[in-house]
Amino acid sequence: MPDGKSTVSKPPVPKSPAALGKTTKDSEDINRRSFFSWLSFGWIGFVAATGGFFTMMLRFFFPNVLFEPVQTFLAGYPDDYIIGEVDTKWKDKYGVWIIRNDQGIYALSTVCTHLGCTPNWLASAKKFKCPCHGSGFKSTGINFEGPAPRPLERYRIVLADDGQIIVDKTKKFQQEKGQWEDPEALLKV
Amino acid sequence: MSEEKQKSLLEKAAESQIWKSIFRGGGVPRNRRQRMMSVLNSVFLHLHPVRLPKHAVKLKFTWCMGGLSFFIFLILTISGILLMFYYRPTIEYAYTDIIDLAEQVPFGIMRELHRWGAHAMVITVWLHMFRVFMTGSYKPPREFNWAVGVILLLLTLLLSFTGYLLPWDQLAIWAITVGSNMARATPFLGSEGPGASLLAIGDINFITMGSDARFALIGGRFMGEAALLRFYVLHCIGLPFIIMIFMAVHFWRVRKDGGISTPV
Amino acid sequence: MGSFKEIVNTISNPTILFTSVVIIFPFVFPPSDWFEKWHRKLGLHHLWSKKAIIIAMIGMIAFFIYGLGDYNFQKIVLKPDNVPISGLIFLVVFFTWLSMYQAYKNDERLEAGQKPDEFYEAPNDKVLVWPDLVYVELISLIIMSAFLLVWSIGLPAPIEEPANPTESPNPAKAPWYFLGLQEMLVYFDPWMAGVVLPSLIIVGLMAMPFIDRNPENSGFYSFKRRRLAISLFMFGWLVLWVMLIIVGTVLRGPNWNFFGPFEYWDIHKLEALTNINLSEIVYIKWLNTGLPESILIREIWGILIIMGYFLILPPLLAKTALKDMYGRLGVVRYSVFIVLIITALTLPIKMYLRWIINLKYIISIPEYFFNF
Ligand code: HEM
Ligand code: FES
Repeated sequence: MPDGKSTVSKPPVPKSPAALGKTTKDSEDINRRSFFSWLSFGWIGFVAATGGFFTMMLRFFFPNVLFEPVQTFLAGYPDDYIIGEVDTKWKDKYGVWIIRNDQGIYALSTVCTHLGCTPNWLASAKKFKCPCHGSGFKSTGINFEGPAPRPLERYRIVLADDGQIIVDKTKKFQQEKGQWEDPEALLKV
Repeated sequence: MSEEKQKSLLEKAAESQIWKSIFRGGGVPRNRRQRMMSVLNSVFLHLHPVRLPKHAVKLKFTWCMGGLSFFIFLILTISGILLMFYYRPTIEYAYTDIIDLAEQVPFGIMRELHRWGAHAMVITVWLHMFRVFMTGSYKPPREFNWAVGVILLLLTLLLSFTGYLLPWDQLAIWAITVGSNMARATPFLGSEGPGASLLAIGDINFITMGSDARFALIGGRFMGEAALLRFYVLHCIGLPFIIMIFMAVHFWRVRKDGGISTPV
Repeated sequence: MGSFKEIVNTISNPTILFTSVVIIFPFVFPPSDWFEKWHRKLGLHHLWSKKAIIIAMIGMIAFFIYGLGDYNFQKIVLKPDNVPISGLIFLVVFFTWLSMYQAYKNDERLEAGQKPDEFYEAPNDKVLVWPDLVYVELISLIIMSAFLLVWSIGLPAPIEEPANPTESPNPAKAPWYFLGLQEMLVYFDPWMAGVVLPSLIIVGLMAMPFIDRNPENSGFYSFKRRRLAISLFMFGWLVLWVMLIIVGTVLRGPNWNFFGPFEYWDIHKLEALTNINLSEIVYIKWLNTGLPESILIREIWGILIIMGYFLILPPLLAKTALKDMYGRLGVVRYSVFIVLIITALTLPIKMYLRWIINLKYIISIPEYFFNF
């Protein structure tokens, strides 16, 4: 577009002899220039407004209220769980394994940290094995084989006033960030 | 008189007012002029130029793969619209509606036609790209159309991917679970992508499970009702709309870039 | 015949399969004079003759018929969603041959000083769209419609159990056209295999006309004068895409373990998947000190290697092995090209590192979800 460019930077010289007078030419130049700067303001405004509009449209995809199943549930009393065993009874409904060991009780997420399949607890081999790409996790949730990049997540687990266990899936604890030390990641009993 | 008699039925029909009102230029395309006019005057045939170099019409050159991709796209559009008459995109009904489509609806192969057509289109588009490459047809002046083609390829795959979820069976949700979890790993924009934790002020993360790329895709933090609806809308309206725009550009550019490429 | 099955099972092991394909490939699609010489000496140019395709097709059909007698093979190949792959295999072989056959014929014509087969003399050699093209199209459409109808009547679309968010099927697979990507997931973290590499494929394809600046040979099939471009593209398309799809579909079974095409999909097949990171190799195996606390010190070796690979290797190559190319392409084109190529090469490199030293990540910073 060499032609288009030259008209912008160098206004065409007026052809009629009358217009060749210096004064007229200058004032016309200034007019044109100021006109262009106003125009560029207009363009910037236009681009900003359009950009803002599309950003708002992006926001459209993130609703303010989610209609998702409740994320906290009551999981019975601590005595319901046997030391050293992985309890799978909440897996189907809430996607949580509850495990009790010498230190306490913790709630492990059933979502594989690789790509979100649901591993199976293989009681004989004492590990969680993910069917999708073969990641393996110890009963603590620590990953030890396969492509999973990090341990399974734990959920917040606390006692209600009546002594029942509350599992709250909205709060996660990640081992690699040192969050398992959090008092709410492990229920001491 | 004898000349009149030799006219075939078709040719007589071509002289009627109705025929002439439909096919501009008229006449059965028998002679050179009529043939050229029949292409020039039809909105559909007009996708083509009137005359082509002789290798361009040979199957062994183009394999007709671009044409077949477009044709399968049309089959998919029609069969897809028919499927929409029965299918309801909710967790409650989606699965049973799919079963009913095979068992309760007459001519119960519409789902097959749609599914196998989708597989076939992926293959024809790949082969089309392969032949365009092998004939060097991506070189100037066709660089832009090649890029448009790459976008068409991407859209074809996205259409297949979004459609895969709709039956809401085991195959569907796990393929999409794995697929959409990759979005969670997008650098900076996914809650588990590298760099996402840098986009934070103090303790408050901007990119969380409730605000990342995966959320935008499946409309929730977990695979569920919202994901099905989003994929349904993308599959039936959003992506077909976009792909049609790109196809229009693609066809236009094939002609504007000088038709099927030729040796110089 | 049992031993034949065993041989097939053995050579389809990815280490053997991939290695042999990589070695054979440049002799089949020679990118340079040296390979070209051996290509001729070994008689591989006969692959692109009519006889060869007939033999190949008969051979493939015979293999399929023979294979269908085997329960395990049958179960994989006849799974409804896998049927298109069998079609893809035949089509890819046929069309690869068809294009190479025409390319070689044109190469001969060019060498003899003739014009390529597709050459035409405007305007004498032009034909009318009606009827010459319209009828070709009509017939293609009819054949395609008939084909789709028969396929649809003959093979019901699959539907499995209703979705159950807590029970993953084993193995859980993406649709087949994404299985090449899923295969990369074994060697890379999702952000690479699922996001960065696919985006680079798209960008790379779009960039192709701007990198391949050889103005010759458009509009007809040819090989010799574009052999580097063709052999690079073919490697990406045939090996890194089509072959990985076949591997992902046919050879990946429960727990994403490898199974030969005639092998029973045993859920309990054990395979050691214990992989280690570079940092562990350096600090625990070699230095015997245990992992350092600081992330930076822990991962410094991996970071140095990756930086060297991406920042030092390209200029080094520009000065040495790829000097000619650098001169021809200029800085911008060369940089784009080399970054695309060496990124693509990280896939085979990581594959071999995995197979040989069980390497999981070169850099592993799970704290920031950054694993490479
Ligand atoms: C939805 C998918 C697509 C449709 C329906 C389509 C359709 C077509 C048609 C009908 C033609 C005319 C020539 C022929 O049939 O070969 C054509 C040409 C072309 N296509 Fe496509 N195409 C698609 C995807 C692609 C892709 C994936 C690429 C490459 C990445 C591509 C690149 C081109 C180019 C460069 C030409 C010009 C070829 C020449 O001049 O010889 N297209 N396309
Ligand atoms: S999703 Fe569990 S290993 Fe990939």
